[in-house]
Amino acid sequence: MKTRIKRILTGVAALAAAALIWLPCMHFIFIKPVSHFRQERGLSPEARQLAAWHMRLWTDPALRATELNKMRVSNAEWDFMGRSYLVWSLANMALRDPASRPLYLQTMDQIIDETLELEKQKGMYFFLMPYAKEGIYVIRPPHSLFLDGEIALMLASRRVVQEKPEYKALLTDRVNGIVARFQKSRHMLLESYPDECWMFDHCVALDAIRTADYLDGTDHSKLIRDWISMAKVKLVDPKSGLLISSFTTDGEPLAGPEGSSIWMVSHSLQLLDADFARDQYERARRQLGAITLGFGYAHEWPESWKGQANIDSGPIVPVFDVSAGSSGMAFIGASTFADDTFLTALAATLDFAGFPSRTGGRLKYCASNQVGDAAMLYAATLGPLWEKVKTGAKP
Amino acid sequence: MKISLGKKYAIFQRAELLSARDLLQRAAAICGLFLLVHLAGFREYTGILNGTIGSMALGWKLSTFLAVFYIVLYLAFVIVVPVLVLAAGILVVWGRLRNKAEE
Repeated sequence: MKTRIKRILTGVAALAAAALIWLPCMHFIFIKPVSHFRQERGLSPEARQLAAWHMRLWTDPALRATELNKMRVSNAEWDFMGRSYLVWSLANMALRDPASRPLYLQTMDQIIDETLELEKQKGMYFFLMPYAKEGIYVIRPPHSLFLDGEIALMLASRRVVQEKPEYKALLTDRVNGIVARFQKSRHMLLESYPDECWMFDHCVALDAIRTADYLDGTDHSKLIRDWISMAKVKLVDPKSGLLISSFTTDGEPLAGPEGSSIWMVSHSLQLLDADFARDQYERARRQLGAITLGFGYAHEWPESWKGQANIDSGPIVPVFDVSAGSSGMAFIGASTFADDTFLTALAATLDFAGFPSRTGGRLKYCASNQVGDAAMLYAATLGPLWEKVKTGAKP
Repeated sequence: MKISLGKKYAIFQRAELLSARDLLQRAAAICGLFLLVHLAGFREYTGILNGTIGSMALGWKLSTFLAVFYIVLYLAFVIVVPVLVLAAGILVVWGRLRNKAEE
């Protein structure tokens, strides 16, 4: 009996020692140089493989329908955002890899045309969650800034890579509509859902306006400045200093600062107000970003704010408080601000817990979906599009 | 003379709890199970981690069950198996050192 107890205690001690050795070392089998995910010039191996998966989706209608339908069961927005992120990624890829530009442009046009056709045929509610039909939009006729902003930025991105006359009028109409509604709104706050406005959507829409100014020589710089000034006063959570995610048309907060929103917002702001963008990223990095045992992840809310898991945050992993949504979007923030330490740690987590599936030179993350993979592709390729608009280089 | 499978392959013999062989047998069992579910394609269902159904044909319940089964075995494979193997190594080294000291 004594021998048995001694053997068990020795075994337990050996297991504890082994865990102490293995757990801090485990990330080494998943960690890769940052250049594997993102490169200053050209395309990283990760970007090429992710892009190959998306290009296959857009050349295989049956596969695309399967993947999009799987997402639409949970959230019709994801179908739409997957398109937006892919078009924006392809624009950056076309600028990084001119040899493949014709193929990327063809795919961008295919996505844009299909999206516009779906919006025309089925209406804006096709890409919105069902509760959009349950309320009444304050500004009439109803428009969703979520759709208008992202579509405008899709059109603008395509035109930055190469002019397409058919898209010029479409972009101008979309931008003029957004600007008119901004002017009509008492607080410069536009709805994505009935009396529900989103920071993410405002920043993307303003990016589209800024890009349209670059393309067409218009000037909405005052509108952009006024909006940023208003946001700094009305839409910043006083405790964290982070921009809140959603609010009413009167500027009343609906949700606080959220990781699923702020990483992309800081990226979008880079085109509008670079200093404010960096301030928001650094605050988010301090309050939402974390690295444990070499693995990077992000929380959905700062410590000063208590929120409930939702469709944007994704499931929250207890103990570490990891939000799948925030961690995925953190790639965009880290990549934008060249935070290589965080980006490398995030990529290690993605390889560990994202369940990558690599076949035939194509990569997808099984724990993700088409929109998640498209956002990841965007994080791996972003840069040249913003750079071109910011520097004013000829389209 | 007939030799039973258990005698011929010592690894299949039941080992004492928390002995080095016991730990290796457990590690091998996890590897075997994980290999099976991996080859069966259960990885495809892990989309439930972000709220996406694994398969429209199988529905939410079965997709979730397959995903959870895969995730548990995967975590066991990448976290528990190396710990078991390392612990077995530590026990072997410890045993040898102790025997040497007793000699």
